[in-house]
Amino acid sequence: MGEEDHMQSFHISYRNTQGTLMRILNAASRRGLDLPFVQAEQGETDHQVTIVLDVNAKQVGQLYREWYSITDVIHVGSGAAHSDTWTGHHPPAGVTVAESRSAARA
Amino acid sequence: MHKGAEIVLQCLRAEGVDLVFGYPGGAIMPLYDALDGSGVRHVLTRHEQGAVFAAEGYARVTGKVGVAMATSGPGATNLVTGIADAKMDSVPLVCITGQVRSALIGTDAFQETDVFGVTLSLTKWSRLVRTIDEIPDVIAEGFYWARSGRPGPVVIDIPTDMLKAKKEFSGPVKFTPNARPADAKDGGFTDTIVAMLQQSSKPVALVGAGAKISGAIPELRRLLDTLNIPAFATVHGLGAVPQQAPYYLGMVGMHGTRAANTALHETDLLIVFGARLDDRVTGEPTRFAPHAKIVHFEIDPAQLDRVRPCDLPVIGNLADTIPAFESEMRRNRLPDFAEWRSVACGADRAEVDPRGLAQPTIRFLDELFSRLPKDNVIIADVGQHQMWAAQRYCSDSPRGFITSGGLGAMGFALPAAVGVQLAKPETCVLCVSGDGGFQMNIQELATVHRLGLPVKMVIIDNKYLGMVRQWQQLFYERNYAETDLSDNPDFVEIAKAYKIHSFRLKEDAMREFPVSQETGDQIDRFLSTSDPELLVFDCAPEANVYPMVPAGAALSEMLLEEEPEPAQ
Repeated sequence: MGEEDHMQSFHISYRNTQGTLMRILNAASRRGLDLPFVQAEQGETDHQVTIVLDVNAKQVGQLYREWYSITDVIHVGSGAAHSDTWTGHHPPAGVTVAESRSAARA
Repeated sequence: MHKGAEIVLQCLRAEGVDLVFGYPGGAIMPLYDALDGSGVRHVLTRHEQGAVFAAEGYARVTGKVGVAMATSGPGATNLVTGIADAKMDSVPLVCITGQVRSALIGTDAFQETDVFGVTLSLTKWSRLVRTIDEIPDVIAEGFYWARSGRPGPVVIDIPTDMLKAKKEFSGPVKFTPNARPADAKDGGFTDTIVAMLQQSSKPVALVGAGAKISGAIPELRRLLDTLNIPAFATVHGLGAVPQQAPYYLGMVGMHGTRAANTALHETDLLIVFGARLDDRVTGEPTRFAPHAKIVHFEIDPAQLDRVRPCDLPVIGNLADTIPAFESEMRRNRLPDFAEWRSVACGADRAEVDPRGLAQPTIRFLDELFSRLPKDNVIIADVGQHQMWAAQRYCSDSPRGFITSGGLGAMGFALPAAVGVQLAKPETCVLCVSGDGGFQMNIQELATVHRLGLPVKMVIIDNKYLGMVRQWQQLFYERNYAETDLSDNPDFVEIAKAYKIHSFRLKEDAMREFPVSQETGDQIDRFLSTSDPELLVFDCAPEANVYPMVPAGAALSEMLLEEEPEPAQ
């Protein structure tokens, strides 16, 4: 099974209280998982974060349960991730040092 | 108009708090200034770690929320070990920390630490208070999460200007959580467990801390009597199952009994009641209960499937799920497990009498425990003495054995004993430590003396970091790297400096068995006085804890006793 086959996209709805997003991300980072793609945004009623992770089936189960144990997490869903979701440039990564220096001098 | 500090204390009173443990400092001074007349008693420890462990001791023995207070920066960071300990062992704990004033947050001000960030992965819930208006809601919600579901630690960080500010205050509030799909309870599990029992020939029950936290001890004991299958407990489950129950096999895990570990290895159906199944219980996870289907009663779904997938998770409070299981069981006919029971509980699996270098120490603990008054609590620190004490613990009191099990934090016992004794002033509180751990919070002797607490303290003094040394002996070719504590101070003299009576008992006193009248009288007097006292017991430096499951081994591969020295 190739690496891409393990890529899962998680969609987590949460109330945007202090630290909730960090607790969600910490559930992945404490397992030594890289976070190649993270996008958090405000939804109609709550907030939602999409995280793409390279995980096995056991880790998926652990992450689901740990996310649900966070007091302000409302819902967790997931599906296979498309590679263009997580290999593309996330905005901060698309800004080069040279560009930021130019902007600072302007 | 009320100051923020007064509002905090009124909210604590509304949550039933009348005792807090702490250590003052700059940022939390307004809260200390408001203590007088608040109805909240403050106990000054001599280190913030002492305060948080004392709050834990109070919480563990009562089941109520323990409260610790500290100032910003180093005060807050000194709480961290206790917070981690409470997370691992499911202890309801609220830590209130002062923070630098709001305008200075983020400027690396004097004694500023991001305690919210530092403790994020250790807490169940936490808040940095941003306005005085938030205080009542934050405290109500913090206490709710600390005690609800699987209990755990909460941190409430309050900038000093919030504690000084004033506002109209109409009284404490109640917190009601929003419902979410994750809170749904399991149903319809009972007939499945009964069917699994009917197909099983070697079922066992494993009892963990959840049994006592849920308060479902009577229900659990009734269920186990009805099931009548071999049962055993984790270190935090000790006391949940009556020692004299004919199906009880003692403690399970790395230093568990031969009978318990063997039955767990052989079982075909493992029913777990409120235990996390960490590696100290399972041995090598891939070879844990290799023939078993697993039914896991657990309140926290995050604890499921950590070691290996369970076949039937039962999510919910044991106080709800056990009665449901029991009533279904009574409607069905179960097989008679007598044959399996006679094998698992048979005489050939009984514990052998202690031999070797540890024998005097084990006899000493047996003497000590057998002479305790019925109303007692034992608090063990971390290390060899902890495992010896757990192995020899023989009380049926569910909250009678307290220790730092999950985190294994040395230095826990003495301050925790302070909290236990304050919660149970009439109870005989016995604190058992090693010479390494006792020195980690030895300053709390001052707290014991100041409060005149009749805590009975025992140091098992082998002049080593004994458990580490044991591993070095067995697995690192006796390379005793940095575990030699032979230059220990004289603990008897140290206690005297704290104005605490103390004496030393040499292990020779235990060579004679039963012990002499004189030794017995010494122990009886030690346990019966109304003053604090320290007993230092000299233990053989190279005494080891057996049985032992080596790291990476299955539970069935335990070492039962000392290997004889090779002939020279």
